[in-house]
Amino acid sequence: MGSTNKSSRRRFLGNTAAIGAIGAIGASQLIKSCSTSPEASTGTVTEPTILPVAVDGKPLRAGVVGCGGRGSGAAIDFLNAGPDLSIVAIADVFQDRIDDIRGKLKEQKDVELPDANCFVGFDAYKRLLEVDLDIVILATPPFFRPEHFQACVEARKHVFMEKPVAVDPVGARAVMAASKQAEAAGLCVVTGTQRRHSWNYQNVLARINAGMMGDIVSTNVYWNQNKLWHREKQPDWTEMEFMIRDWVNWTWLSGDHIVEQHVHNIDVSNWFVGDHPVSAMGMGSRLRRPTGDCYDNFAVDFVYDKDIHMNSQCRQINDCANSVSEQIRGTKGYSDGEGTIWSPEGEVLYSWESPVDASGEKLQNSPYVQEHIDLVTAIREGKQIVEAEETAISVLTAIMGRESAYTGRKITWEEMMGSDMVLGPQGELAMGPVDIKAVIPIAGSAPE
Amino acid sequence: MRRKSKKTGRILFLLGVIVTALLVFFGNKAVVATSTDDYCASCHIHPHSTDSWKLSTHVDNKRGIRVRCVDCHLPPHGEGYLVEKAKTGARDVWAKWFRDPESFNWEAKSQIEHAKGHTFEASCIHCHQNNYPLGLTKEGRDAHLYYERQAGELHCINCHITVGHYDPDRLHAKNTDFGIIETASTDLYTEPGVMSGLNDFTEYIPGSAVSFEMIAIPGGSFQMGSPDDEPFRNKDEGPVKEVEVDPFFMAKIEVSWDEYLAFFKQTGAQGKSTDTYLNVDKAQVDAISGPTPPYGAPDQGWGKGKMPSMSMTHNAAEVYCQWLSEITGKSYRLPTEAEWEYAARGGSTGPYYFEGDPKRFVKQGVRNKLFGVDTAGINSYVTYMENSGARSLPPEAKIENPFGLLNMLGNVAEFCSDWYAEDAYAQYSDGVLKNPRGPAQGEEHVIRGGSYRDGADRVRSASRDYTRTDAWLKTDPQIPKSVWWYSDCFHVGFRVVCEYNETE
Repeated sequence: MGSTNKSSRRRFLGNTAAIGAIGAIGASQLIKSCSTSPEASTGTVTEPTILPVAVDGKPLRAGVVGCGGRGSGAAIDFLNAGPDLSIVAIADVFQDRIDDIRGKLKEQKDVELPDANCFVGFDAYKRLLEVDLDIVILATPPFFRPEHFQACVEARKHVFMEKPVAVDPVGARAVMAASKQAEAAGLCVVTGTQRRHSWNYQNVLARINAGMMGDIVSTNVYWNQNKLWHREKQPDWTEMEFMIRDWVNWTWLSGDHIVEQHVHNIDVSNWFVGDHPVSAMGMGSRLRRPTGDCYDNFAVDFVYDKDIHMNSQCRQINDCANSVSEQIRGTKGYSDGEGTIWSPEGEVLYSWESPVDASGEKLQNSPYVQEHIDLVTAIREGKQIVEAEETAISVLTAIMGRESAYTGRKITWEEMMGSDMVLGPQGELAMGPVDIKAVIPIAGSAPE
Repeated sequence: MRRKSKKTGRILFLLGVIVTALLVFFGNKAVVATSTDDYCASCHIHPHSTDSWKLSTHVDNKRGIRVRCVDCHLPPHGEGYLVEKAKTGARDVWAKWFRDPESFNWEAKSQIEHAKGHTFEASCIHCHQNNYPLGLTKEGRDAHLYYERQAGELHCINCHITVGHYDPDRLHAKNTDFGIIETASTDLYTEPGVMSGLNDFTEYIPGSAVSFEMIAIPGGSFQMGSPDDEPFRNKDEGPVKEVEVDPFFMAKIEVSWDEYLAFFKQTGAQGKSTDTYLNVDKAQVDAISGPTPPYGAPDQGWGKGKMPSMSMTHNAAEVYCQWLSEITGKSYRLPTEAEWEYAARGGSTGPYYFEGDPKRFVKQGVRNKLFGVDTAGINSYVTYMENSGARSLPPEAKIENPFGLLNMLGNVAEFCSDWYAEDAYAQYSDGVLKNPRGPAQGEEHVIRGGSYRDGADRVRSASRDYTRTDAWLKTDPQIPKSVWWYSDCFHVGFRVVCEYNETE
């Protein structure tokens, strides 16, 4: 390095003399522009940080928007993430959900919320943002996410938000842009992509990135499980109330299960490959789902650059073969992502072991809590993390697969980035009838 | 001796150090002194650029920040600043001493294509480091997402051309009321024009104060394409075909802004169309739907009125014809490529419908470069590169062709209804072709006649060209992109033909 610098310096002085006055103009600028580039490192594993609890620091106050099962779960997970964390406000469209989460917070964490900080209605999130708080937890059905996230960023709040972050391309792009705004505004955003906050996945990826199984050539991702929950419409419920309470079964609210649930595995593939697919060709149907307009099975062939394929399956039907997993295959081996790397012959090359504490006990890594540990630590240490854009990209990947299955067409990423598709009722939302066409898509055309 | 030479060496070395230090010191002074706005303005003999700069948001803004000439017109320090400064400095000095300031076409130099060459994107980004400030509108966020995905194909000034030099005609806000002209409501035509036999007639657009001339074109036959030995001939102009066309009417001039804006005003959609460009179903476009406000300034600030309209999409031109047919009760459409060439030639068989050799009209070859282009023959007929001043001109600035049509060659290029194929003529069967309509399908449409931007080689009667849909929509950040306006095409318009039915 030293000799290179010396010779370039000599050459520089020689040139100055030769060119004369014009060459000397701004010579100081030229000297400043000398720089060295670091050697690219290969083969070394960058060990992920193991952080079983959030670092201590300034007290952080959070509000929860969307107080169903996931919202109240996330609130408790947040409080369990470390010291000096509090929940100070809640918002939901239903009063019974507000009552429910207040009960759970009192019972499990001895937290009592004043009535003044409990908000009900479609605009409850706006009033919650007026409360003095640092973090907002967004756990409503994903249809609402882009609007809520944008409002949080504009209000300069840190955000924890559940996946998926949108149900349509317009929403996904809105989150991408809001993510960039959050980045520029110095905010921290963590999304509910649990696997990215799991030590086992992080450690496997660190070894794959170091070249342990060569270059990735394909991925398989699955979320095949039994039927998920549904609600029957009650006589005193309006159509809007029914749909929101039954939300995982409605595409405009959930994005369909390939987006709502399977995005976890699709995100693992994007994360490991380090890119998003450029096209999708998929199929799917609705065989046994009791309510809503969603499918209950999808199979999609996604294609990345360099013709790397992601084979994706998801199903929510009882008494079929089930698997929630990934397989990543490289030129020199393969991995399940969640702990093991094998050689092509099946020999174990790496196996994840949880570290132990001082007393020899294995440290526990709950990804649900880890997401909040990572968020709180990032805020307190001033080491910004913003995950919204990457998650929006994975969500848009899943939407691309869904649209391919719905239409029977091959869909490209470019089409998704240029699509004006917006799902759900337009305009002001209210409890009452819902103006959407609840048609279950059927691909292709019938024979003549 | 040795001692002495060592001493001399030391003195020389010291002197060298001092000289170098002085050069660096005064060199820096010189860089600073020659980078002030006053220094720029002392030579740059286009005072309007200083005036428009003073009116721009780069000078007059809430933050009280003043952006100087060199901040945009040179790259940032350390990224080629000095090299570029030396280059532009040398160019400026040369221009100052050896060129006639009157010979510069400042308007042309302020067009985006040229402006990109002396506005450095790295300098934009050097100051504007955040494309997503809080409070940015949804449209703004979408537009910046789009820009970032274009990987170097778009420059900041594709959209933000007015930030450094104010131009009231190009303001984004102008687009929403584009084409809204106050007209007295008393002089509106209530009845369309009357067609009587195969004779020229005047068309009146009902509900507007706009009329235009239609020229009767008798049917006949001609040789379509150019012979192998025609100068500047391209492969797609052959093989030459014997073609017969039925009689029809053709507009004397390219569709003017007056005509096009009558359509815009009567049908213009308030909101955005939900048709995306790629999947718009032509069969479903009824004549009632009309264009949305454009994204840029389609007239480039060159004026409207009788000036040829431009930058509408091929689709928009077709919908215009449907609309015109409906309100006049006639059958208007775009010309076929064969009709267009037949009408342009007007019986002529050479490169142009006037006398002249293309080789003499282009800035090519040693002789023309040394002694200038002899435009005497072409000047009075065609608005083209050598005489246009890089913009379209009023139609009556030129002489008619043998049929009485103006600007068939040059001014703005014209859409035809045919799909373009390089081998379109070869695809036709042997023998005489009757009213050929081009390939059954394709991706881009034929455009004919060349424009104010083309050299004499491209404004020949047989020259063929075609639309570039993707490239012409590159800047448009809307999702979906406009079906009605190209954002990056300011040299193509169209001319209508009207069908003639002898039994009527």
